[in-house]
Amino acid sequence: MPIVSVLFALAVGAIFILASGHDPISAYIDLFRGAFGTPYDITETLIQTIPLILAGLSVAVAFRTGLFNIGAESQLLVGAVAAGAVGARFGFLPGPILFPMVLVAGIGAGAAWAAIAGYLKAARGVNEVITTIMQNYIVVFVIHWLLQNGPMTAPNALGTPASAPIGDGAVLPIIIPNELVPLTRLHAGIFLAILAVVVFWFVLWRTPLGYELRAVGLGPRAAAQAGIDPRSRTVIAMAIAGGFAGLAGMIQVTGVFHRVFDGFSAGYGFDAIAVALLGKNSPIGVVLAALLFGAFARGGSIMQANAGVSAQLVSVIEAIVLFVIAAELIVRIIARRRGPKPLEAIA
Amino acid sequence: MTWEQLIGAGVLAAMLRLATPIALAALGGVIAERSGVVNIALEGCMLVGAFFGVVAADRTHSVVVALVVAMAAGVVLAGVHAVAAIHLRSDQIVSGMALNILALGLTSFLDYQFYGSTGTPADLAAVPDVEIAPLAAVPFIGDVIGHQNAIVWLTVVLVVLIQVFLFRTVPGLRLRAVGEHPRAAETVGIAVRRTRYWAVLASGLLAALGGAYLSLSVAHSFTDGMTGGRGFIGLAAMIFGRWTPIGALVASLVFGYGTALSFSLQGASIGDVRVPVQLLSTLPYVLTILAVAGFVGRSRAPAADGIPYETEGH
Amino acid sequence: MKRVFAFLVLAATVAAACGGGNTAGTTSSPTAAASASPAPTAKPIQVGLVTDVGGLNDKSFNQAANTGRLNAEKDFGLKTSVIESKKQEDYVPNLTTFAQQNYDLVIAVGFLMQNAAWKVAKQFPNVKFAIIDGAPANDAGNTENLPNVANLFFKEQEAGYLVGVVAATMAKNKVGKATHNTVCSMGGIPIPPVDRYMAGYQDAIKTVSPTTTILIGYSNDFVDQQKGKEVGLNQISKGCDILFQVAGGSGLGYIAAAKEKGVYAIGVDVDQIDVAPGTVITSAIKRVDKAVYDTSKAVKDGTFKAGDSSFNATNDGVGYGKLDPVVPADAKAATDKALADIKSGAIKPKTDLTVKP
Repeated sequence: MPIVSVLFALAVGAIFILASGHDPISAYIDLFRGAFGTPYDITETLIQTIPLILAGLSVAVAFRTGLFNIGAESQLLVGAVAAGAVGARFGFLPGPILFPMVLVAGIGAGAAWAAIAGYLKAARGVNEVITTIMQNYIVVFVIHWLLQNGPMTAPNALGTPASAPIGDGAVLPIIIPNELVPLTRLHAGIFLAILAVVVFWFVLWRTPLGYELRAVGLGPRAAAQAGIDPRSRTVIAMAIAGGFAGLAGMIQVTGVFHRVFDGFSAGYGFDAIAVALLGKNSPIGVVLAALLFGAFARGGSIMQANAGVSAQLVSVIEAIVLFVIAAELIVRIIARRRGPKPLEAIA
Repeated sequence: MTWEQLIGAGVLAAMLRLATPIALAALGGVIAERSGVVNIALEGCMLVGAFFGVVAADRTHSVVVALVVAMAAGVVLAGVHAVAAIHLRSDQIVSGMALNILALGLTSFLDYQFYGSTGTPADLAAVPDVEIAPLAAVPFIGDVIGHQNAIVWLTVVLVVLIQVFLFRTVPGLRLRAVGEHPRAAETVGIAVRRTRYWAVLASGLLAALGGAYLSLSVAHSFTDGMTGGRGFIGLAAMIFGRWTPIGALVASLVFGYGTALSFSLQGASIGDVRVPVQLLSTLPYVLTILAVAGFVGRSRAPAADGIPYETEGH
Repeated sequence: MKRVFAFLVLAATVAAACGGGNTAGTTSSPTAAASASPAPTAKPIQVGLVTDVGGLNDKSFNQAANTGRLNAEKDFGLKTSVIESKKQEDYVPNLTTFAQQNYDLVIAVGFLMQNAAWKVAKQFPNVKFAIIDGAPANDAGNTENLPNVANLFFKEQEAGYLVGVVAATMAKNKVGKATHNTVCSMGGIPIPPVDRYMAGYQDAIKTVSPTTTILIGYSNDFVDQQKGKEVGLNQISKGCDILFQVAGGSGLGYIAAAKEKGVYAIGVDVDQIDVAPGTVITSAIKRVDKAVYDTSKAVKDGTFKAGDSSFNATNDGVGYGKLDPVVPADAKAATDKALADIKSGAIKPKTDLTVKP
């Protein structure tokens, strides 16, 4: 049943591919093989997936507390900048000291930035949607300034707005030796991501704090009557959300770029919203949904290179698949045709 | 920094121009959410309105037809969202986000197919400016509102009309009831699903009009992704404006003013220090947060906003 | 959950069924067909283009590069392909994709890709690379020339200087609508390739017509036309008559402002006289398409040259576009003289802004 949804979506996409003059079958084969065909491809997909998992957790933990965190994008960037700044400034320090510093900087900066939105909501009732949307833009422009002709601009940046490189001690090493999978770039960030998923699950379902956050999410008034202060929990939840996103940014800097480039990270924060919702705000779900996006990102570029399908068409197909999965279109249409029936039995 | 740069006629006129597309998107958001449906796809509706408006203007050379086509495109996209959200009761946020991605990809794809290397034609039918001669002669006010585009005026009119509709008419009351208490509304005979459909379609129409304003009144061309997030700013304006049309307009004006300032202040200094242009660009966003934190505070969404509705007996 | 999982299982199964056993990365290799044939027909040269995050329709250099690629494909019978990068993380994998498939030439469009190109070029020493607007930059941030990489640099300041001469002459002599002796420019964001155009422009104005007022602004955006238009309207209200845009899509809005107020504009990167006939008086041309075209030809002819290559006035790599009829003959003459002087080295346009925002 669910496979039917996806196949339906791909079929609709095939129409577009045909209309643009290319062969859908070979295009889709490229899509799948690009994402999973060889071990190298799989590692590339994973690299795309890692920040999405973390950003997805960020949005998910906020949703669990009844908050809509549209700001994962800016929290990620803030974490990246902090990690990049600390990693460069103290780059001379050895790994065991430098890396934890960079880690704390990234997570902390993201958490602090998000906590602002949480505080404004708790203290002044400012809807977090407004604050986080605004924060997204503010951060982009501040980073432009920092890296183009501001304090963090690297002197030898050769016209690429970027920061100084981070010290070697802060770099996340590649975890698969070249002999096993040549040219792979898969870095230790994947371990951090898996750890984050475990932390997410543990905090939300195995600690009193997590219980309180979920209670606030399910009903703030009831929670308040049970003695849980929704306002402080709001701030804490946003801080945790920001911490996850900041970690994502830190990983991108220490695992992929090794410095902060201007204009990096296009849209993880937005994709993360869909990732969290598709994954029903649960640990495994977020991972799988992130994988879906990562596969599309990776497979999509192969589809462009080999089948000649344009990048915009790849987006269109991705959107249709997303829409269909989210809308559980076929499932629901068939369910309705069959008359009243517990929808829970399906999926 | 001079007064001229802060509140000169040029800045205020720019404020109106910049606020208009946001206000239209926000208006759409207000109608949809007042009926209980979250429409995140406003950005996508704006974009399809911008694109198909240009295509129609190119093919028919008629600005009226172009606007109609633009609004129809918005209605179609919103219609897809409506079916998913209302009929199929799927997650409204993901549906909206998926449609945004779809709209961006589709309009970019078609833009390349139709206008690939040449770009959109240079002499597109354009929505005219409205010159109000006697008004334009008035010293300060005339410069601000004497030469604004027809759609700017239309937006103000729409804000007033929809405000009256929602809060002073019976159909408006019904719509709000559907958004607050659908179960109770249905009990008194209001068609919940039909009302929501109309609301969502209307939101698509308004957002698309905002997009058409960008492509046919301002830019006179189409470039990929030209709406640049205005649909999302519109959502923020909607919340800022407490889900009322007039509130949404005020919020849009605050934002538009901040943006206008960010350009008029380029070159200004505070004492000896030149303000970096990138930081100036943060003005509208900072201003909005301050305004909401300082003056608006808590705003409450319609009670049934975003919750799919199950009608009785099916 | 289950649906996503099922999708992935399906995907993996299909992938395994179709391609399991391939060595790293050689997915449906386009060369397979050609190299399988026994007859010694020349394998078509393959050129791959990787754009930066601006996308192919950026009304700027990605688009120009693509034009060059398509022309080269047509004229030389090459097999070409393009990948649009969606985010910076994509640069390395996209370049690698072409390299792994043994493309003959992989072109990285844009200075943002300097580090990525360095990384991939080192890993694939047998594949030729070219970087538009840049040179390989190692992880420390320093330029490191590689034997398989051509660094294609443009002297935007020369193109800016040429159109600056046009603007200065018209402003000085109050030609047509240019009555206020004020000219201006707008950049997308304050980065060197953008600023170089405007630096040359300002240099020319100061040289040809020192009394002319010069204004400068930024839209801080390469896409948003409304923002570009507002910057333009602002500058026009301060008297600017000739608006030089260096802002891609946003610059189209800037030109729209000039059109609306009945003054003049100057286009950038490609010839933009058709964008607004009667308004656009000329354009500062950067022949990115020629760079792509020439480099592809060089690979085909075996004359590929690694290291720095400069595209400037001397080899027609930069220049000025068609002139609108309103541009008087003396302006054209002055510009042609400036062109000759730049070619001979008598004039070296500045690369740093004289008038800053």
